[in-house]
Amino acid sequence: MLRAGAVAVYVLAVEWTRALLAQNSRFVVAALLLGGAALGLAALGWPAERLGLGTSRFALRVVGGLALGGVLLLPAAARGAAAPLLPAGLAAAAIAVSIGEELAFRGALYAALDELGGAPLAIGGSTLLWTLAHALSHPPEFLVAVAAAGLLLGLWRWACKDLVAPLIGHVIADLAL
Amino acid sequence: MKRLTLLAAAAIAYVLAAWMVAPGFYDGFGPTEPYRWTCPPPQAGANTKPSSGHADIKVTNGKTEAWSVYTSDGQIVIGFLPDSFDVAGKSTVSVDITPLDTCPEPKDVRFVTNVYRITSDAPLKKKANITLLYSNLKPHPDDIYRTDDPNGPWTLLERTSQGQPYTIYSSTDKLGYFAAGYASSTTPPPGGVVTIGGGQALPIIVAVLIVVVVLAGLPLALMRRRRSAEGTEDDGEERS
Repeated sequence: MLRAGAVAVYVLAVEWTRALLAQNSRFVVAALLLGGAALGLAALGWPAERLGLGTSRFALRVVGGLALGGVLLLPAAARGAAAPLLPAGLAAAAIAVSIGEELAFRGALYAALDELGGAPLAIGGSTLLWTLAHALSHPPEFLVAVAAAGLLLGLWRWACKDLVAPLIGHVIADLAL
Repeated sequence: MKRLTLLAAAAIAYVLAAWMVAPGFYDGFGPTEPYRWTCPPPQAGANTKPSSGHADIKVTNGKTEAWSVYTSDGQIVIGFLPDSFDVAGKSTVSVDITPLDTCPEPKDVRFVTNVYRITSDAPLKKKANITLLYSNLKPHPDDIYRTDDPNGPWTLLERTSQGQPYTIYSSTDKLGYFAAGYASSTTPPPGGVVTIGGGQALPIIVAVLIVVVVLAGLPLALMRRRRSAEGTEDDGEERS
């Protein structure tokens, strides 16, 4: 309980601090890079297998990541030229924050909640915290889509016992949008 | 099978939820609020009309104070230095910003923002700084343009380096109509802004992902099934 609570408070604090820093556009890149690194720290001390980072069936995991990336991008792609353009300077920041968020939410937080209350708590809790974490950086009308993305990635983590695919899918989505 | 069904349901729920909002909601790369369009592009989703702005700038000792006037949605800001207006005995100077109801399409410019009309009841005598916010749904603008008549020719304002994301700055010595855009002779995204992903490349990216997943995923799944049948599957992952 203590471990899950500590991870939850830590990732929420990092995400909200990152969001507040990013409101000053001079700090956007720094907030994303440092925020990504700080989120990744949440996974320290966990065995790779508990985070879903095992190496078995690796090729399938990679293909799964590409599939998740495709699903995450599908709504924007279906609307033709709808997608915004990500300045190349933000690419490193996009990768850092995507990896950090996955390690924190579907990695450490999921594992801590799974220990506490099993898969339902891990999926529901990580999705709820993920949505709350984005409440400061996103307008309210976007939060349903954010929550749906969190649920999809959390369900993958549970169904395939895998974090490699959510990592790849999240990076692709952040880079392409 | 149950897991696969749940995953498929979650994927469908995500696509439906994401369809309801403008693309680009990931991790705070875009503007924090959706742009409010006069003429929303088809992909914009639900749109709120852009706001207008008004300010009465106080005159002290025959000079106007330094002041910024902006619309309540923050999509345009004009900043005036002290003593920017010829006040001629006035105690205040009124400045109004109004989004134009129409979306002019001059031959040589592609606008990527709304057109705003800025008026004052006293003549401007010093340059004012103008800031326009733009959307992540269109190419980045190169410049801010000004005109006295939205259906007439547009003048390029002095180019200022772009600092904050999704924001473009310039200065003007006259009020009138303002919008940000790029010369229609250039290929978007103009101004040397290198971008990755997004835009018209996105459908191609998704198509490539689908092809790779199908081409690589089917043989991998078949191999796994065969190994499973032979009882040699390496299943060393965690159990939950």
